[in-house]
Amino acid sequence: MPELVIISTMDKQKNHLGNRVTVYAIIWCLSYVGSLFVLKSYEVPKEAGIVLTIVTLLAFATFIYKYFRSIYFMDEVQIRVQMEAIVIAFSLGLILIMTLGLLDLVITLNMVNWGYRYLIPYFFIFYFIGLFISKRKYNIENEKYD
Amino acid sequence: MKNTIKVERAKKNWTQADLALKIGVSRQAVNSIETGKFVPSTALALKMARVFETTVEIIFQLEITD
Repeated sequence: MPELVIISTMDKQKNHLGNRVTVYAIIWCLSYVGSLFVLKSYEVPKEAGIVLTIVTLLAFATFIYKYFRSIYFMDEVQIRVQMEAIVIAFSLGLILIMTLGLLDLVITLNMVNWGYRYLIPYFFIFYFIGLFISKRKYNIENEKYD
Repeated sequence: MKNTIKVERAKKNWTQADLALKIGVSRQAVNSIETGKFVPSTALALKMARVFETTVEIIFQLEITD
């Protein structure tokens, strides 16, 4: 019975951490979009720009830290799913950067659409693609059970 | 690798959620292992054997292709 209590407590902690990761991801997204908007739209002094960049960096570091902590509470199937999702996202990200890097040598890319700032959302899209593939592979999505 | 988790569960009249709770993993993880999509670690296989009161060899068997 104490084992069940421990597992139940771990489940609660896991859910709590999962929710917190989402909250920190949203905070980072808002800080990034906010910084981008302010730096693009206004004449911001250099020092203020650096502070905004550092704030965004700290928000991202906190999000990543919380994400890594949440892995501790995942079971081995969930860890495998996350790892494979990240491997897929990393590979797709490399493909994107490599392709843009090579294309940049032969054609002039429009930096308004393809600048470094605008590549970040693609990495998240790649992560979710990876997550989708990985979940399907391990039958995580399948709700049919008994 | 094939397994007899479903049979062992049926003997105990447990759902996947019951088993998941007893071995400390998610219900989806049990489903993934039971359907043969994921091969568990030695520790998890031993935990399963313990809750089913049997041996790992009874629950998991190698196939010719393994």
